[in-house]
Amino acid sequence: MRTAFCFDLDGTVTTTEILPCIASEIGVSDEIATLTRATMDGHIGFEPSFRLRCLILGHVLLERVQAIVSSIPLDESILSFIQTHKSDSFIVTGNLDAWVRPIVDECGCAMYSSEASVETDGVRLKKVLNKADAVSLIRARGYDRIVAVGDGANDVPMLVAADIGIAYGGVHAPAPSAILASDYIIHEGSTLCRMLRAL
Amino acid sequence: MQNVTGAVIAAAGLGTRIGLGMPKCMIEIDGTTILTRLISTLRLHVPVIHLVVGYREEMIIEYCARHHRDVVLVRNPDFRTTNTAYSLAKGAQSLTGKVLYLDGDLLISEKSLANFIAESQKTEILIGLTNAKSENAVFAHTDIIENYVQVTGFSRSRISEFEWANVLVAPSRFMKGASGYVFERLIDRLPIKGAMLELAEVDTASDLDEAKLFLQKMDGR
Repeated sequence: MRTAFCFDLDGTVTTTEILPCIASEIGVSDEIATLTRATMDGHIGFEPSFRLRCLILGHVLLERVQAIVSSIPLDESILSFIQTHKSDSFIVTGNLDAWVRPIVDECGCAMYSSEASVETDGVRLKKVLNKADAVSLIRARGYDRIVAVGDGANDVPMLVAADIGIAYGGVHAPAPSAILASDYIIHEGSTLCRMLRAL
Repeated sequence: MQNVTGAVIAAAGLGTRIGLGMPKCMIEIDGTTILTRLISTLRLHVPVIHLVVGYREEMIIEYCARHHRDVVLVRNPDFRTTNTAYSLAKGAQSLTGKVLYLDGDLLISEKSLANFIAESQKTEILIGLTNAKSENAVFAHTDIIENYVQVTGFSRSRISEFEWANVLVAPSRFMKGASGYVFERLIDRLPIKGAMLELAEVDTASDLDEAKLFLQKMDGR
């Protein structure tokens, strides 16, 4: 049986949310963190909230963003799992491809993400990812079973579409909607990866 | 024979007989929950713990996020219409090898659990037995063969000195497809080796007083 492992990026692979880190560059870290939290908990729809955050943060120069993103700590157990299962692991993130590229390169696996066009004065959001679509595309690669790991309200479509959904609370409590969409709740990267290896 | 690779604790049930409006494993005895007591006993003997949650799952999830972050929480959203055997099967789904199955409302003496787990290495299935004492006991009928106990039957009406302890070591697929009571799953396979456990089960309000005495007795040693 071929199994694909899909990981949310922010607060799952990374040990902190990425957008508030980028926002610190222009002094609006708290504001973006509040918006991010409200979005993760499902109080604001992911798409409008993400469009707004991209409008605000799109002005930060891409190389600056990538430098910040490169310094964000990753969960060591999850990173190591992905690196040793590169061909069957996928980062499925609502975040922008251009912004998170350094992390995905370090992971060495494929990514499904929201898309941006890179302009001279920053980035412009082109398309927001629906995570259920990503699961369909990954399944179409010939997998018999999809395991999904995520923590936010925007992970719900992915957790529901997967065969095994895991709400991950390594960084903060998973959103209640993510728990309801999952089969398992796990609070530690090492515990998560031990289970993934046993599946 | 193989070592126990993980434990599955069933804590999805309503606990209606005790009626405290919370999962039974969350009841505190002398300031510590039954769950924390159980996990710290198990921790010494099994590498992986899966805890099956259903009724008021948010309460147990939040508690484990604070106190037991290495426990895998397995959801049984159908807890109202399914029983313990179903929860145990769900909890063991992602485990392989030999699993310790048990109820989440038990206080078990560490020493007797250590003996039980050591004993389980010698056999494919091992049934937990305890001295009959509970109100709705499922009595276990046994034969003594040489130096071990063999369970030959279960009965709610035919009295015996032993009862089914709601603890079992069996392969990870053993509960797959089970729907009745856990002990009913064992009937077809009888006779099966059994071993004694010192434990207290918290089903009713009066069990709580018994449980306190049981803990005092264990601590007094």
